[in-house]
Amino acid sequence: MKLPHYLGGLENLGPVNFFEKKVFMADWEKRIFGIHTVMMAESTHLANALPKYPIAQVPTTFKETWTWASLRTGAESMQPFEYFKYRYYEKWLMGISQFFIDRGYVAAKELATLTEHYRANPDAPLPEHPNPALKEQVVRYLHHGDSGLRTPVIPARFTIGDTVYVADPEAADHTRLPGFLRNKKGTVTEAYPGAFEYFVSTGPDGLAGPHHVYCVLFKASDIWGADKSEPNTVIYADLFDAYLKPAH
Amino acid sequence: MAELFDYDESREAVSAAKVRALEALLIKKGVLGSDSVDAVLSHFETVAGPFNGARIVARAWLDSAYKCRLLEDTPKAIAELNFPGMNGAEGEHMKAVANSESVHNLVICTLCSCYPWPMLGLPPYWYKDPVFRSRGVREPRAVLREFGVPISADKEVRVWDSSAQIRWFVIPERPAHSEHLTETQLAALVTPEAMMGVALVPAPTAA
Repeated sequence: MKLPHYLGGLENLGPVNFFEKKVFMADWEKRIFGIHTVMMAESTHLANALPKYPIAQVPTTFKETWTWASLRTGAESMQPFEYFKYRYYEKWLMGISQFFIDRGYVAAKELATLTEHYRANPDAPLPEHPNPALKEQVVRYLHHGDSGLRTPVIPARFTIGDTVYVADPEAADHTRLPGFLRNKKGTVTEAYPGAFEYFVSTGPDGLAGPHHVYCVLFKASDIWGADKSEPNTVIYADLFDAYLKPAH
Repeated sequence: MAELFDYDESREAVSAAKVRALEALLIKKGVLGSDSVDAVLSHFETVAGPFNGARIVARAWLDSAYKCRLLEDTPKAIAELNFPGMNGAEGEHMKAVANSESVHNLVICTLCSCYPWPMLGLPPYWYKDPVFRSRGVREPRAVLREFGVPISADKEVRVWDSSAQIRWFVIPERPAHSEHLTETQLAALVTPEAMMGVALVPAPTAA
């Protein structure tokens, strides 16, 4: 049971921090968000994505696959009590810096030295090397995205109205199965046309290649118990086929 | 919770210096251009943002046939309006659900922070808040009450957990006394919070 997979349903947490409607709490957060998004836009896997991006022609030294799965796997693999000590984009900054160090793009020492430099000189400029062709690819990616839609290789197992049970796979580094739904009973309300491939295989968790995806309806009382749930409340989740079992 | 995000200045200054150092090194090493990050940020100021969602909701309020098409085939109905980039990153597969007299919808992502970028731009902090993600699926009515949105027991609450490819958004109920408003005036009333289901759209204040 990995805590980041089981956030949904934790109790006794006090009020939600609702009044914080800002997207970024500090200006520096915009830069790490931007760096991550450029990395997704120049990721080598986009050569085979929908649409097929001309990644090989984009002038960049970045030769890696970088997707949402990279960031999420990093966050989910943190020691969970550490995870909650950091603000959202602080975790991104730690994960992305470490990725560039681990992959040999940046030396830990040069990052530390340059950080000290900018700490002492916060207004010191960035190097000026525009890259118009990369900028074009970033804009193209933002406009056309990276859909996981694929042609199904097998027929869908379930249809609208089917009762299904949610599987309980081994806890892995990364999952797209919300923990609170494991072993629960639901009803298929939609079988999405086509199949969908997640960015990575999640190993024993079960995602690999294209899967059908279903919208599954759960009664709150079936998840939390009749006397522990709010009345007249339902939860819908989009679940990959690998996470579902037939009722019989 | 607010004070948890309120760090001392040195913690912010170190993060600010570190991200600047990282960007500088990545520019120097050819991973980024010096105009790359700005291209991303500019996209969220001009192309993808809650201004799109607000206009689409206002259109749905004014044209019930359009609202039906939006609920039936969301990407196709959005494409009718010819806004750029509407099936772009984190909006490749969007779906609308509508609030009504008998249903209130709430959108959440318990695993991370999936959010319909082309419609709404980037998620605000409350959406990413672990407390919202924890409580929103177990006690949505209590959370909504705290947000000033009490839902009567005879109204069904539907929570949508964004765990695969679909990015959900809510068409809120049109406010009372808004019959005289134009599409632009209606759009000005629609907030990202209303399009995620944690706020209602208030009636316009008298001119």
